[in-house]
Amino acid sequence: MPTINLNKWILQDMTGLNEQELVDYLFKLKSEVSPVSQDEYSIEVNADRLDMLSLGGIVRALKGITGKELGEPSYPVKDTDYVLEVEKVASRPYALACVIYNVKLSPDFYLKELIQFQEKLHDTIGRRRKKVAIGIHDLEKVEGKIIRYAPVSLSTTFIPLNQEREMSVRDVLQETPQGKQYGNISVWDSNSPAIMDERGILSVPPVINSDRTKITGNTKSLLIDVTGTNFESVMETMDLLATALAELGGIIGRVKVRGMSVDRSPVLRHTSVPFSLDDVNKRLGIHVSRDEAINLIRMMRMEVETNKDLAVIVPPYRVDIMNYTDVAEDIAMAYGYDRFTLESGRTASRGSLSEKSEIYRKLRTLLVGAGFQEVYTLVLTKSSYQRGEAVNIANPISVEYDSVRNSLLWNSLVFLSNNQHSRFPVRIFEIGDVVNRDDSKDTKYSNSTRLSMAIMDSRVSYEMLQAPLHEVLLNLLGVAPSYRRFESDIFMKGRSAEVVVKGETIGRLGEANPELLRSFGLLYPVLLAELDLDALRRVM
Amino acid sequence: MLSENEIKILDFLKRRKESTSQEIAEGTGLPLSSVFSIIATLESKGIVKVISEETRKVVRLTDEGKLRTEQGLPEDRLVTLLNGRPLKIQELRNALGKDFEIGFGWARRKGLITLENDTVIPKVSQYVSPEYTALKDLQAGKEPTGEVLEILLRRKLVEVKEEKMLRVQLLREVETRPAELYVTHEMLTTGSWREYEFKPYNVEANPPFFPIGKTHYFRDFIEKVKDLMVGLGFVEVSGDFVETEFFNFDMLFQPQDHPAREIHDSFVIEGKGNLPGSDLVRKVKEVHEKWWRYSWSEDNARRLVLRSQTTAVTARVLSGAPKRIRAFTIGKVFRPDSIDATHLIEFHQMDGLVIEEDFTFRDLLSTLRDIFQGLGVKQVKFKPGYFPFTEPSVEVYGFIEGLGWVEMAGAGLLRKEVTEPAGVFSPAGAWGIGIDRLAMLFLGVKDIRDLYSLDIEYLRSRRVI
Repeated sequence: MPTINLNKWILQDMTGLNEQELVDYLFKLKSEVSPVSQDEYSIEVNADRLDMLSLGGIVRALKGITGKELGEPSYPVKDTDYVLEVEKVASRPYALACVIYNVKLSPDFYLKELIQFQEKLHDTIGRRRKKVAIGIHDLEKVEGKIIRYAPVSLSTTFIPLNQEREMSVRDVLQETPQGKQYGNISVWDSNSPAIMDERGILSVPPVINSDRTKITGNTKSLLIDVTGTNFESVMETMDLLATALAELGGIIGRVKVRGMSVDRSPVLRHTSVPFSLDDVNKRLGIHVSRDEAINLIRMMRMEVETNKDLAVIVPPYRVDIMNYTDVAEDIAMAYGYDRFTLESGRTASRGSLSEKSEIYRKLRTLLVGAGFQEVYTLVLTKSSYQRGEAVNIANPISVEYDSVRNSLLWNSLVFLSNNQHSRFPVRIFEIGDVVNRDDSKDTKYSNSTRLSMAIMDSRVSYEMLQAPLHEVLLNLLGVAPSYRRFESDIFMKGRSAEVVVKGETIGRLGEANPELLRSFGLLYPVLLAELDLDALRRVM
Repeated sequence: MLSENEIKILDFLKRRKESTSQEIAEGTGLPLSSVFSIIATLESKGIVKVISEETRKVVRLTDEGKLRTEQGLPEDRLVTLLNGRPLKIQELRNALGKDFEIGFGWARRKGLITLENDTVIPKVSQYVSPEYTALKDLQAGKEPTGEVLEILLRRKLVEVKEEKMLRVQLLREVETRPAELYVTHEMLTTGSWREYEFKPYNVEANPPFFPIGKTHYFRDFIEKVKDLMVGLGFVEVSGDFVETEFFNFDMLFQPQDHPAREIHDSFVIEGKGNLPGSDLVRKVKEVHEKWWRYSWSEDNARRLVLRSQTTAVTARVLSGAPKRIRAFTIGKVFRPDSIDATHLIEFHQMDGLVIEEDFTFRDLLSTLRDIFQGLGVKQVKFKPGYFPFTEPSVEVYGFIEGLGWVEMAGAGLLRKEVTEPAGVFSPAGAWGIGIDRLAMLFLGVKDIRDLYSLDIEYLRSRRVI
């Protein structure tokens, strides 16, 4: 979840709320507040509420939930002479711009907050600038009224933000940290997208702005450009920025747009989401009246169309409202999750354990009775421990866990290897899932539930394990298993067998091959058994 | 009740009435030190009386003395080796080893040999030293005196020790029966057990190690959760670890460019799976493209991952279009992360699903409250939350003594974008609860790795309540 830092005193001053009230109300708005310093809060915001990644958005939401201001605020909007001309930019086709007058970027906190909002939008809706990128400029430093979005050749030069000298776009991409991080997103055919005024480059999306139009504490008005690969997301980002700044006193200046599907920007889009009060009440399990519902929606800073059927007029900053279920959630939040009265035991249905769990429980009781300690190990293991085909992880984070176990035997051996200095004998069992190839499944793999048993002692003999295994199976199935000689490199020659029940092989047991013991660093003899519980279930 | 050794001493005393500790040791074959302690015990039982106690000097063989008594003194062995013939020093040295120097020194001093160049010439053909005779006598109980004793002391073959000697008198006759360790079947059959004394055990000593079988404490916790869910009317279901992205993400309305779907957030398995044959896929594609506005790729949906949420199991259940169900699953999920005391790359989730015609958000909150109360969390509170596949969404916090409010679950009513493509039109509530963290809170485990401990002594030492 994204986290933003905001100045304590400004937030308290703008909302008229003390610290405890801020904590409580923001909790109701899906957010968590923790003080990070004397002057700062860190606020965790949920990923759907992009509007709340800004000071303006948080203040707007808080004023609503506390009932201080209701409905959608009316922000001043005026048309400007600025024109955005969008040319064909194959790698990043969409661009919008807007102007904001009367911004306040001083004291320093405001400037930092704006840049933070920009970065959070980059990371969320912008998908780390791949989908959307934002450039913010000091309008007074922009020359001319025509802003162009067009491809430029990589040899075009400009002074990038916070650099001293003129650099080519190519050098910026190769040498600056931003260039290295984002440079490869939009470059194609030796071209890069650029936002330009009459004098030259203002920004190279999604990489960096020019130094020439850098914003400072003295900046009074802004030119904002938003570019991206998805028009809806570009439009929403523009609306989020404009409305957040307007909440703090900015005046939105509309820019004429050429070459896009809209001719004005910001679009400040409103959508209508119809809903029936009955549906909402039924979904929530509460009974709010029509007037109450309208009031609750207005507390969430949205308006309701009441002429005919009810519909929420979704303001430009609420990009998360899709259909009536989202309306229901907003009503529930304004109503207060803590106000829901809870009931107990409304179900009359009968629960049951899975067959797997039933067998697991019976087996473990018998195995404990046989004196075996249950162990529980991880599913992920080191591929070099395993024999036979196993699922390997393409992007492991450690060689210790780069594959999924295909048998429990390796886990038992690792366990024993870790306990060579413990009190003997060590008698263990584990019941758990392993993964094997299974072409009948849509994933080509399936889980298989296994039982492993192992004994380590200073001296072992086949019967020490065969006898308890035999009794456990006899007690579980009511049928005595039989044993068929079976050789494998896991076991010592002549000392292993398959376990057979009703003609079906359900597992194997024997004395571990010293070669195998050596590969697990084991210096004591070991008996091993593994049963396939799915096969066991088939013979039950 | 008398011990075997007590009986031995009493039997010996019965014949003498009065004796010394040294005589008892000799007569019974018990070491003198044991004789002293047994006499003390018998005296405390009022069976014998110590008449006098004196200390006397006794001559005892040293370790070397014992050795020489067995082997002979070095000079004796040298003369025997020579057997009347001259021999080279080197040969003698080879034969006697480090005893050669001692033997040679004493033999020359005693005038038994002479040396010419490197050859030793014997002056006698046989020799038994008086020291050897004295050692043998001592062994037989006759102590050496005078000059011989001096020499033996100087040669460190004997030492003089102070020894306590008790004179003991038998006070009363005690019936002494043979002592036995085990009651046997035969004794019980014949009744002969009456004739035996049975040795008392050292019942207060700690016993030797006895390995017992024991269930695993974390799995016990998981079973407890299952019981709780069954009690609340839920049916247990399960799924596989390897899953297509379709069920792990797409069906749950997570757009394919969602940050949670980036490669570092799930474990990727090579290869591609197959998608369900129904029009489920087409409908999922439709809702994705309608709401998230991108071009949905079937190929991406076929990618394989280790499931990162048990909600994938819920998605599978949903794809069967149940009309009405209460189901839960507890299982492993896998997520790349750094491994430390609170993070592992695999852990358990308990996911639940309710599909009922009149199920409401309030019912969901009630169910969650019931689950946590069943687990022992008395107080819960609900925070609005966000998950791509639920609306309304809620995060559940539980109050834990000493920790405060702890986030415990994420839940919500499934979006229609999730249920309707699957053909489910009734309200559906779903949740996911992280089980490992809950278990740590309830089991007092500080390090998540202890839940999967490879140390059997840790498992053996954990108490079960």
